This record gives sequence, C-alpha cells and structure tokens, in this order.
Amino acid sequence: MSGQLLSAEDVPTDRWLSSVQHARDLGFDYFDWLGCTDDIGRTDTFRVTVVLRDLADGGLRTRMLSTAVPRDEPVLDSIRTVFVGAGWHEREAAELFGLRFTGGDGRRLLLSPTFEGAPLRKEQVLGSRAAVGWPGAKEPGESAASPSRRRMVPPGVPDRDVWGERDSAQPPAEPAEVAASTGGGRVRRRSR
Amino acid sequence: MTGHGSIVLIEQNCTSCMICARECPSWCITIDSHTETVVDQPAGARARTENVLDRFAIDWSLCMFCGICVDECPFDALEWATPQALPARTLTALTHEIPDLSAH
Repeated sequence: MSGQLLSAEDVPTDRWLSSVQHARDLGFDYFDWLGCTDDIGRTDTFRVTVVLRDLADGGLRTRMLSTAVPRDEPVLDSIRTVFVGAGWHEREAAELFGLRFTGGDGRRLLLSPTFEGAPLRKEQVLGSRAAVGWPGAKEPGESAASPSRRRMVPPGVPDRDVWGERDSAQPPAEPAEVAASTGGGRVRRRSR
Repeated sequence: MTGHGSIVLIEQNCTSCMICARECPSWCITIDSHTETVVDQPAGARARTENVLDRFAIDWSLCMFCGICVDECPFDALEWATPQALPARTLTALTHEIPDLSAH
C-alpha cells in the first residue's frame, strides 16, 4: 500500500462512529475499505477495520482504525452516515461474519436469502465436505482394499469427535474448539 | 510455451505421496497405491518397501485447472500440457486414468 506499513489505531466499540467521524474531520475524507476478521483462538472477538485516506497529498496519508467486536454480542454502529460507500462493505461483513450494524443497511449482499450461518466465521463447518469421501484421506501405499488406521481430514471439516459424531452426553463443542480442528490434517487419536 | 489445456502424469516420477490429492481444492485426484518390498538390494541390506502406484485418476468434471497439483508435486510428476481433455457423453467418462493422462 504505497510502500508504507499501516498500523491500526485501536478504538473502543462504543467510540467507533465518533472516531471515524473525527478522522474524516481531520482530512481523511476518502473511504478506502472496511473489512472484518475472525480472531477466534486468540480472543473472542471479531476485528472490524476501516482504512481512510487523505487525497490532498496524492492519497498517501492514510489512517487505519480498528475495533474488537465481542463474539457473543456482535453489534457495531454503522458508519454509513459518515461514508455512504461503507454501507456496501458493512453488508458484506454483516452476512459473512454474522455482525449487526446499528443504523446500517440490513439487506443481504452476496448470499442467497435461504442461506443459514456466517460462512467466514472460522467455526463454520463445510458440511457438504464432511458428507462425501475425501480422496486425500488415504495414506501413501494405501488403497480402498487395505485401509490404514491413521486418519486425515480435509480443511474445513473438523475431527468427528468434535463435530458430527460427538458424544451425545457432552454439550456441543465450543466455537473455538470447532475452529481449531478445521485446519485439516492428521486427526488426533480417539480418546475412547 | 506450454498451454494449460490439461495436466499430464509422468508415471515413473510419481511416488504415490498423496500430496496432490490432499492439496487439490476441488478433490478431483484419486490415487490408489500399495507397498512392495524392494527385491533388488545389496546383500545384507535392511529390507525396504516402496510405494507402487496402482491408479491415478483426474476427474475433469471437477478439475478447475488451478494447477496447484502441478506446483505442489515434489517429484515433477505432473505437468501442464496443451491438448485439452476430450469431452465425453457421460460424467464418469470424464474421469481419466493413467493411460489417458500420460504424455503423448
């Protein structure tokens, strides 16, 4: 990004709208982008980030603001009253991460109206992938005729002890546990 | 310059390591293999086994021509080729086995 490293200014959630407004008043009046990331595994938050630019000096002056939205109450003030174009980015973040933007445009942007879930949350399981056989599950030197005892799972499908064949006596796995086990690779040995 | 019409298998380079099948985002590569004891060993050497490829198939109805398998193969057993995979009347006929995937 113009050869410079941006560092985000961390803003409390309740001062999100006023901080964006303040940055605009300081001359960062061009909205570049707004994005969201899932911090699961580190903190129980989503991080919403916005980049604003000052076009006066060739667009080189930038300000990056970010805020941590709690996972159990993913609500944030919409900034579309300050930058109209941010509404589009907020709709995308809202449907992909299951956020709610107060005062934002609640309509869906990309997903079909019948789609359930938030596909970019890391605990989102690729259910259709769990249901069909993965060609990569086999070990070298293995065929269907001589299955190996080691097990591999594809990315996006958790360990069956965590999701799918979980012991019904246990409560459903925490989102962080599901997210941690969807990286793909070798499955840990069954405990029972 | 080599075109990106299809992917060919150089069978003698393949060690059945499964890396391409695991890296493939569209799950279009199927590999069957078995292990055999190496017979051609010097006297007194410890017995070794090697993997022998039985089946290597690419399902062209799933392949999205991303080339990740070509990039990931540590043994250069997969290569881009100019000729396109031939069309077929049924989906199952789009699964090409070792003879169809060998370089011409």
